[in-house]
Amino acid sequence: MMIKGYEVVVGLEVHAELNTKTKIYCSCKNSFGLEVNTQVCPICLGMPGTLPTLNEKVVEYAIKMGHALNCSINRICKQDRKNYFYPDLPKSYQISQADIPLCQNGYLDVIMDEGEVKRIGIERIHIEEDAGKLLHSDKFDGSLVDFNRCGVPLIEIVSKPDMRGSDEAKAYLETVRSILKYIDISDCKMQEGSIRCDVNVSVHKPGEPFGTRCEMKNVNSFSAAVRGIDYEANRQIEVLEAGGTVVQETRRWDDQKGVSVSMRTKEDAQDYRYFPEPDLLTIVVPQEKVDELKRTLPELPNAKIMRYVKDYGISHYDAAMIVDVVEKSAFFEKCLEAGCKSPKILSNWILGEISKFMNEGAAIEDTKLTPEKMAELIGLIDGGKISTAAAKTVFDIIVKEDRDINEIIEEKGLAQVSDESALEKIADEVLAANEKSVSDYLGGKTNALGYLVGQCMKASKGKANPGAMKEIILKKIGG
Amino acid sequence: MNIDIKHIAKLSRLRIDDSELAGYEKEMNDIIAMVESMPDIKDELTVDPQNVMALRPDEEIGEKIPRDEILKNAPKVVAGCVVVPKTVD
Amino acid sequence: MKLYEYNAFELSEMIKSKKISSKELTESVLERKDEVDGKVEAYLNFDREGALAAAERADRLISAGGVKSRLAGIPIGIKDNISTAGIATTCASKMLENYVPVFNATVIDKLSAAGCVISGKLNMDEFAMGSSTENSYFKTTKNPFDLSCVPGGSSGGSAAAVSCGEAVIALGSDTGGSIRQPASLCGVVGLKPTYGSVSRYGLVAFASSLDQIGPIGRCVKDVALLQDEIQGHDKMDATSADRSYASLYDNLSEDISGLKIGIPSEYYGKGVKPEVAEAVTSAVKELEKRGAKAVPISLPSTEYALSAYYIIACAEASSNLARFDGVKYGYRAKDCDGLIDMYERTRSEGFGREVKRRIMLGTFVLSSGYFDAYYKKAKLLQKRIAKEFEDAFKTVDVIVTPTSPSEAFKIGERISDPLAMYAADICTVTVNIAGLPALSIPCGYSSSGLPYGMQIIGRKFDEQTVLNLALAHENAFGGFRRPKL
Repeated sequence: MMIKGYEVVVGLEVHAELNTKTKIYCSCKNSFGLEVNTQVCPICLGMPGTLPTLNEKVVEYAIKMGHALNCSINRICKQDRKNYFYPDLPKSYQISQADIPLCQNGYLDVIMDEGEVKRIGIERIHIEEDAGKLLHSDKFDGSLVDFNRCGVPLIEIVSKPDMRGSDEAKAYLETVRSILKYIDISDCKMQEGSIRCDVNVSVHKPGEPFGTRCEMKNVNSFSAAVRGIDYEANRQIEVLEAGGTVVQETRRWDDQKGVSVSMRTKEDAQDYRYFPEPDLLTIVVPQEKVDELKRTLPELPNAKIMRYVKDYGISHYDAAMIVDVVEKSAFFEKCLEAGCKSPKILSNWILGEISKFMNEGAAIEDTKLTPEKMAELIGLIDGGKISTAAAKTVFDIIVKEDRDINEIIEEKGLAQVSDESALEKIADEVLAANEKSVSDYLGGKTNALGYLVGQCMKASKGKANPGAMKEIILKKIGG
Repeated sequence: MNIDIKHIAKLSRLRIDDSELAGYEKEMNDIIAMVESMPDIKDELTVDPQNVMALRPDEEIGEKIPRDEILKNAPKVVAGCVVVPKTVD
Repeated sequence: MKLYEYNAFELSEMIKSKKISSKELTESVLERKDEVDGKVEAYLNFDREGALAAAERADRLISAGGVKSRLAGIPIGIKDNISTAGIATTCASKMLENYVPVFNATVIDKLSAAGCVISGKLNMDEFAMGSSTENSYFKTTKNPFDLSCVPGGSSGGSAAAVSCGEAVIALGSDTGGSIRQPASLCGVVGLKPTYGSVSRYGLVAFASSLDQIGPIGRCVKDVALLQDEIQGHDKMDATSADRSYASLYDNLSEDISGLKIGIPSEYYGKGVKPEVAEAVTSAVKELEKRGAKAVPISLPSTEYALSAYYIIACAEASSNLARFDGVKYGYRAKDCDGLIDMYERTRSEGFGREVKRRIMLGTFVLSSGYFDAYYKKAKLLQKRIAKEFEDAFKTVDVIVTPTSPSEAFKIGERISDPLAMYAADICTVTVNIAGLPALSIPCGYSSSGLPYGMQIIGRKFDEQTVLNLALAHENAFGGFRRPKL
């Protein structure tokens, strides 16, 4: 993406909370939204004398993500302390990883809207602990600290500055989120803050070296990331165009006002005084474990999209829409396993009727709908046994009730009429009543044919097979 | 070696009065002079793969300490939260 | 002889055979405390009711046959940097003056389960930083052998209390000599166990990679008994060694024939008082008469150990003590003008001078641009020092040195000269840097009657050989000499 002759360069740091049962360094429950300061213990409150112990699942989850992003795994690594004072950080240091991250040097292929593939380099993935939350109120002269989130496990995924604009950043973020969901290591709920990002932006003229970058914090949604990148790129270009220079600094994105504001410049950058965490020893993951985690990785979303397009002939757009929701693609695949022979029709139903009730908050497993029934229904549509309209009637019933589809069709009289003599009778009646349209058609007005088929359908109360009906009309009027 | 005591104090979140400055400066410089006798060693810090740590199973264990009890040492508590001076970053 | 004067291993037999009750013993210790603590000032917090209640509980358990531990019913004093649920744990700091933990250190849970009676919390240098106990915010503990002298530090309260009978045994902690040096100055036996053999969970951290809790007693057997009770793997401490631990007490033996004692020349020369070096040398001669063999060795990097120690210890301390910020527990400055003001005033008012200096030193050596010149260099030296010990232990079984370069010094004598104070640790810091076990035991007395200590250093996890040699020495030299108070 070029703006006023400048190329925009973006790097992203994504923090994702892992959905382990317990916190990273203590056995407190890892959960969101519970009453303030009820999910805490002496360890995550940093009480004097307490010590951390590392949750093995955190290491496994991070390695899974490392494999998913094609990283090399540092199966022998360590943790470090990042020292800074803030009220939501009880120990006044965050246990993180400095010079040896668990995973590094990977890449992620993202598929842009046009289906073109863009490879984004991954610098590193490391594990660390989350901090608590500060709560403010205008009515209260002070800030309140809720420590529940302290010690919630995080992975930080740092990309290389390989994105060239907000569109690529958005595609990257969506792909990362999708992978996190597919390998089931994060809930990825943006509104709960379980996935957050810091954005690095710089601009330069093509052919020239990279410009000075600014880091933007407090980007709380993917759409905010897009707005923030666009704003920041334009701001930097304006500075350069006015003959100024971009200052290396950390800025805070204010999504409501749509502006970024300077937090601190490089000169007063924080000195985190990293050093190896003496309370923890070396992390050594056996090579067999690393290999096993790779072997057991599920099919990743991008591979799935490509496969759907290639094997099932559905459009890239539709495939991406299905894969976007784990439940939808799982149901899609189960229907195919259950014998559905028409993936194209199935995909329309998943993105249509099924998405409709899922958007209202229902899950497929909460309904009576089974992959077997869905496959049967699609088979009836494909075989011309019932019309799409009739199928919708059936669908609405089998979502709510565990009933036999054929029984419903019979009871409601929904079977499609393909019997030639019955269709011919209907055609004769309709053609007789619409002589004008017949002559219009013969006179070259081709859309009159649609009208005639419609009239036949109406006469059949929707049960006629529209394809067969059309053939008969054409035969009769000799068109 | 002259240590910028004011800067180090700020990083440490300590306030050193001007009257104490000279004293700290001398003591710190004495100590730094002592440690500067350390010889150079041509080597790099590495992780020791022998010094392995056992990882903790991802299981909830242990009794929970009630909130009132666990916050009883906090200087100021309102509505189950620890109170600090107004902090907005 | 009063009950408080007996050793723990003797009292253990007396309790077991029902000659005495834990309550009688505890009352005797309480009486002794009332008698002398006004002079010695070893205790910060003496929980009379709690101790008596614990003694009665221990008696009930013992008569019901419910406790197997040899320490059941024995009163024990605890250094005030070890977390005790419901009992203030101040680290002798204004910062934690009113802090009452909600959890027990692992060692406290173990002692409680063993039926021990916690007599109270003992004075120390603030956050274990110091060698004289003068850095306590609350009081300066006195040396029972000479009340005008320091008891050593930082576990000065623990060593003094055991020495004068206010505690039968005690727990201390040792980061650079904080058990051994006060044990030496107060004429008692103190063991710094191998790093990782005793859980640090609940020990308020000074320098996490060097800290270790250990026992102090009046004789080798008592130290072995207490170490047996506290050692062992703990899942709550990731640095705790997952191995099996045999009973040290049951395997005590004074047979030292053939034992090779390394004598490193670096510990007997510059900086060490000749009288102290002579006392250790003559003790070694006695041990040779009993079958041991002295072997001269060299540990050439010793001269840099103190520097490496102060850099590593202060770096870790600057981070460990950052949590004392007035937010969650402990002292908070009054009437603060914003967050930074609260942080700075809380920490400046709550910490003493030595602690502040070490925090700043640690912050400095980790700060941007200095890490390689100081911290990294110190860590590389640590590796070299550990290697020198490892090599030495290929030819010798133990290493013997003085514990402290001199006997107890006068209160106030070194307090304004940090380097003079730090010099008290020159013989002990190497042991922490290398993670080895080491014990201090009396080996002589100055003309004015102040004790000298001998340090016995062992291979990692070989506390047994250290204790065996100490036992042989104790028998040769004579046991505990009681201070006249």
